[in-house]
Amino acid sequence: MSGGSAEDAVAAGRLVRALVLRTGWFLATLLGAAFLLQALLWAAPGDPIDLLPNGEELRADLEEEWGLDQPLPLRFAGFVSRGLQGDLGNSLTVRPGASVVELVKPAAARSFRLLLPALLLGMSLALVLGRLTAGRQSALRRLVEVLSVAPVFLLAYVIVIGLNDVTFHAMQSGWISRPDWFALPDQASSLRTAIAIAVLAVGSSSLTELHAATENEIVQIRESGYVEAAIARGGSPEKHEAWNLIPPLSSLASSRVTFMVGGLIILEKVLLMNGAGALLWEACLRRDYNLAMGLTLCAALVVCGARLLGDVVRVVVDPRLRSQA
Amino acid sequence: MRTSAMVGAGILAAVVLAWFVSLVVGFDVVADVDHTQANLGPGGHAWLGTDHMGRDVFWRLVTASEAFVGPSLAAGVVALAVALPAAGIAGYRGGLAAQAVRYLFTVLGSVPRFVLVLLACAIYGNETVVIAVAAGVAYAPALGEAVYTRLEALRTADFVDAARAHGVSPASILWYHLLWVSCRRLIGRHLLYLFGYYLLLETTLGYIGDFGVEEPAPSWGNMLAFEFGIPDGNVLAWMAPALAIWITILGTVLTASNLAEGRRG
Repeated sequence: MSGGSAEDAVAAGRLVRALVLRTGWFLATLLGAAFLLQALLWAAPGDPIDLLPNGEELRADLEEEWGLDQPLPLRFAGFVSRGLQGDLGNSLTVRPGASVVELVKPAAARSFRLLLPALLLGMSLALVLGRLTAGRQSALRRLVEVLSVAPVFLLAYVIVIGLNDVTFHAMQSGWISRPDWFALPDQASSLRTAIAIAVLAVGSSSLTELHAATENEIVQIRESGYVEAAIARGGSPEKHEAWNLIPPLSSLASSRVTFMVGGLIILEKVLLMNGAGALLWEACLRRDYNLAMGLTLCAALVVCGARLLGDVVRVVVDPRLRSQA
Repeated sequence: MRTSAMVGAGILAAVVLAWFVSLVVGFDVVADVDHTQANLGPGGHAWLGTDHMGRDVFWRLVTASEAFVGPSLAAGVVALAVALPAAGIAGYRGGLAAQAVRYLFTVLGSVPRFVLVLLACAIYGNETVVIAVAAGVAYAPALGEAVYTRLEALRTADFVDAARAHGVSPASILWYHLLWVSCRRLIGRHLLYLFGYYLLLETTLGYIGDFGVEEPAPSWGNMLAFEFGIPDGNVLAWMAPALAIWITILGTVLTASNLAEGRRG
């Protein structure tokens, strides 16, 4: 075996080891989150049977069927084993008797269609703004901060009110006829979806944090020795900047997912959209524990999945991280 | 002191002052209802006018500070109680303890904060104390991770070795030299972020309804939700709480970012 191929084999081994370790961490975290949820429910005053109209008559049978008479470790083991077979129980009060998995799947898919574009939009805006303001005194930075600190519900509220009012006055003056989307947010429209995506990308300090972190990374890369060396040799600093931004940006994007999931619940309620966030709100309001647990586990899966994906991108792009695994 | 720091601190001081005034005055939000005085504009009788039920908007704005200032302080105490001992021991000792604590923080942080608060309301009831404790617990991983990272870097610093050589007890090194001297700005910054987060949480819950503070008790969120769209209503009845939310969060962010730029701790 030549020296080069031996080095390649070692590098590939390190990469595989790093990926396996991170996947293991992802699974362990997900398992821990499932345990946390079961522990919360276990420590609750009362149980799901209290929510049923004829619960007391069926208590003995239901306690055994749902495993409520078992200690926490056994309940957790049962939950995991049923979960692995795709069974998270049935909805208790929101859609009584309906499978939680069947309710969660389409709702989560609808929410994901907001979450992913919002994340991409936020990252793109942060990248553009970061390149404009990195290492410079700029009023743009303060403007982003002032706009972005507004909570998502307030930002959505201001946009919806502004659009409705301006359109109403334009209609009254005879300048335009009634647009399809008028009287937001009452009816589904592409404008309503676009507002949700934009607000999620910007509001609740999302853009401020993405912008600040991106700016910081750009400054660090520009001041690094390898970029100075590349410039001295007549190379392009942009190429180095772009490549070396990938690991921190993937880490940043994955960490923002946690906050965006919270913002998504609020926006789906405020803009009357029927995704997983609105369903979770309904499940919590009507104390549908099974559905709430299923949706929370789905949220944890998205958060942990995003972290894993961010880690994988970082490990693949930056060889130094493989030896730290 | 930088201008932005002074602006931020001024905003926060005004909010805390409003809270104190509200606690001292004890404004009766139910007795204030007077339908004959509904939707009046600002004037001597009511500085910001009245809402659709004839209630004084200014006093409701002041009283609404009770919905988040006290509970956010409670949430801060909970976050400190959960995060500091765990992060302190993990950061100071390292090894298996550090791995275990970081795993716990990762697990807790894998459930989005807002989801954890909603879940806590569903399971333990829609009480302010439940929301405050849940917010504190949900914020603990962020605080804990930040403190752990700082302590891990300082664990082998010269001043720590010197303190050990002088026979200072590990508890004193951890609580005084490391957490107080070296991390107090960091902790302060996170407590400010938690304050801002709690305000955001409380006003959001109040705006959407179902959870959090309920009418007739005022929240900047429910004032905004109830007053908008009232025909011939007082514009300030919804604009004032909207601006209050925006400006207070901005004040929190400005103060926290200036604290971050301090030299020590």
